[in-house]
Amino acid sequence: MKAADIAVEVSLGIAVVTALICCLGLALMKDFFEKLHYMSTVCTVSSFFVLLAVVLKEGAGQAAIKMALIFVALLIMNAVLTHASARAARVRTFGTWLADPTGPIPYPAGQGEEMSEEARELNEC
Amino acid sequence: MNAWFWAAVVLLFGLIPCGVVTLRGDPLNRLLGLEMGGMIATLEMVLLSEAFNNANFMDLPLCLALLAFGGGLVFVRFLERWL
Repeated sequence: MKAADIAVEVSLGIAVVTALICCLGLALMKDFFEKLHYMSTVCTVSSFFVLLAVVLKEGAGQAAIKMALIFVALLIMNAVLTHASARAARVRTFGTWLADPTGPIPYPAGQGEEMSEEARELNEC
Repeated sequence: MNAWFWAAVVLLFGLIPCGVVTLRGDPLNRLLGLEMGGMIATLEMVLLSEAFNNANFMDLPLCLALLAFGGGLVFVRFLERWL
């Protein structure tokens, strides 16, 4: 077995194990914003190691170029999608995504309209 | 069966938790299951195209990566405003 084959298999192993762990994390985490973190690991770590394995196997050919395009597409688009999802969640939870430090602390829409003492003091100072 | 085949088979199990998340919970959490499933499916297709030693198959995961992004954004937009 050549060294390149071993390197390919190790890269594939890292990519697949990372992806499986992130899928489990997505399923086990309770909070939406916690789940959101697991998506970025798949499109950075896993797809990078798949790219590495393709380059090791094929060299700089057609497959490697296409895989590099896929890697860049996943990288950029996941960042945009994660941000958009977080913004949508914030709008659904607080009614707005604006984080105005001077304004009142937004409470989840429809819950806890009245502020506690500390929150009121925090707001006045 | 080469290493690419085995990697593709094992990665397939990653779609199970994505399916579970997509089928349960509130719409936003379901959206995350869909987005993660799109990424896993993209990597799955890359592994299969290498397993079959056919670089032409790589076009499929490239298209899926681009279209999954568009689909996800449409869902996000609707969930933010109207649903």
